[in-house]
Amino acid sequence: MSKRTLFAALVLSSALTSGAALAADPAVYKIGGIFAMTGASPHYGKVMSAGAQLAVDEINAQGGIDGIKLQLVIEDHKSGSAQAAVAGMNRLIDVEGVKAVLPSFSTVTLATMPIGDQKKVMMINGGGVSAQTVGTSPYMFNIRSMASDLAAGIAHRAAEQGAKKLAQIAIKSEFGDATIAATTKAWEGMGLKMVAAEQFQADAANIDTQVAKLRASQPDAIANWPTTPQAGLAVKRMRELGMKQAVYCMEWTAEDTKVAGKHAEGVEVVTDYFAATDENPWSKRFADAYKAKFGEMPDFYAANYYEGVYVIAELIRRAKAKGGDYYSGERLVQALWENPTFDSVYGKTLTFRKNGVAQKPVAVFRLENGEQKFVKFTTGE
Amino acid sequence: MDLLIQLTLNGLFNGAHFALLAMGFALIFGTTGVVHFAYGPVYAVGAYAIWALAALVGLPFWAAVLLGIAFTAALGVGCYLFIYRPFEISGSPPFVVLVASLGLFIVMKNLIGIVFGTGVKTVDSVAYDVHFVGNAFFTTVQLGQVAAALLVGCGIALFLRASRYGKAIRAMADNREMATVIGIDTTRLSILVFALGSAVSAVAGALVLLRDGLNPNMGFGAVFVAFVAVIVGGVGSLRGAVIAAFLLAFVQSLGMWQIPTEWQNTIVFVVLFGFLLARPSGIVRRA
Repeated sequence: MSKRTLFAALVLSSALTSGAALAADPAVYKIGGIFAMTGASPHYGKVMSAGAQLAVDEINAQGGIDGIKLQLVIEDHKSGSAQAAVAGMNRLIDVEGVKAVLPSFSTVTLATMPIGDQKKVMMINGGGVSAQTVGTSPYMFNIRSMASDLAAGIAHRAAEQGAKKLAQIAIKSEFGDATIAATTKAWEGMGLKMVAAEQFQADAANIDTQVAKLRASQPDAIANWPTTPQAGLAVKRMRELGMKQAVYCMEWTAEDTKVAGKHAEGVEVVTDYFAATDENPWSKRFADAYKAKFGEMPDFYAANYYEGVYVIAELIRRAKAKGGDYYSGERLVQALWENPTFDSVYGKTLTFRKNGVAQKPVAVFRLENGEQKFVKFTTGE
Repeated sequence: MDLLIQLTLNGLFNGAHFALLAMGFALIFGTTGVVHFAYGPVYAVGAYAIWALAALVGLPFWAAVLLGIAFTAALGVGCYLFIYRPFEISGSPPFVVLVASLGLFIVMKNLIGIVFGTGVKTVDSVAYDVHFVGNAFFTTVQLGQVAAALLVGCGIALFLRASRYGKAIRAMADNREMATVIGIDTTRLSILVFALGSAVSAVAGALVLLRDGLNPNMGFGAVFVAFVAVIVGGVGSLRGAVIAAFLLAFVQSLGMWQIPTEWQNTIVFVVLFGFLLARPSGIVRRA
């Protein structure tokens, strides 16, 4: 190699190296999603990933963030496997290089939260409701109401309808435990009596025994905490066993209506509320685009994860505008606290409270002819 | 008292369901020695086939059940001929067959999700009634589970005792090598028990379709309870498997009378451990 060639190579190498140091832009902004793509409850993975992917597609169609595209990288937690979730989280961070992750399910969020905390990766949960995810990591944020908020909403609704004795049924999981504890606290806090709290394993062959014990406790109302499809199965069993009490759920999907059939009539659902309205053009745009792409109207899970991607995109934009090595979990979190308010697909804005939770509107719905009819907003505080 | 009656009834109905599953599994395991974990997804596929024939094709439910049973029997035979039989021919040790069975379990379970989707499947065309015993309730479908367990159980017992093939199956279950020596075609019998056992699982699947609906993961619970029932009942004893199935169901149900229901699945393992320690050969000891 001649001296001239060597010099040229050194100059080129130096230019490339310094260029790389100055340009902190990645080729693509990868956002991780840890969803229930398989296992007992793949419905959630389907709608959450669909919502998130739609947001990514929309942002990319508008040129991405200053020309850099977003990419959603999905890992499957198999409907709540902490082991699968931890492996997925490590892969997202170590292999894919994500700086922000959208976890789902309480168990999964709790299992992956320490990794996000340790590796300084921002996490925005739009599905799990466990209060244990609140205030334990500076990198952990929630954009849905927590179990305590929804439990309080249900307790108030049942009490205002005249119930004095409440019974509960839940899956044996972090989510189930958290919900039972929060409801008991809210209910007994009003001086009312909790008469039963039955739980079953997620893969239980049937729940006849649990329902029989609920019935024997002679409650005025039942708080039905299982998720899809066991929520529908529990209602079906209760009605088949002659239980005519008011039933309140934290969520209810089309799958539950299918399982419960005619027995779904009259069930009330107290949950985060997403509805497309004329007053909120973004919600209409989102709902129309979702229906056009996936053939069904979005539920609040789809809306939460759609919104989660928009929040992350906005944070990247804000961090980038400040310059420097902006693409890191720390900088995204810093950008959030500099201004914790974001446009919301639910209408107006969402604001993260000091505990990292951006509470959503909590509403009461009543199932009539297979449809969830809005009844009223209730307190989730 | 009302609760106790209800829990007893629940135990009876769940016991009938478990017994159907255990009989099918026991026939296959007891005769061939194959720990057929894919029995779970075979049962699930059979139930899905019945759903597809009734809900998609629009056949009357009884016709869908008959065709579904035939399909499930053929699927069971396919599992034997294309998965287990090659290992038998090559003289592979039992643990290799066990691993193959687990692999087949996973493949079939995932295929159910891919082919049928992951949502719950139900049949709306069949209505059923609710009946009362004092303050306790049960449905026509649950009665059907008891009737099916009785009919299938008696049918299999009669077949094993009175027919030439049945006697040959018993001989093979007792001593496969000796059965071969005296001229029994063990391959043909293996095909027969895989067909019979799988067909029995389809009967259970049809009733669960009406009672709870179907999901791709339903096979795990089924093969789990069938396996435990066969071990607790005594490997090779159909009667033992049925007794154990009812025992498990009653323990699961009545055991929850005073214990929190979250322990329901755990208690099955407690029974299993207890039996393995106290009576390793199971409830019914073979001579």
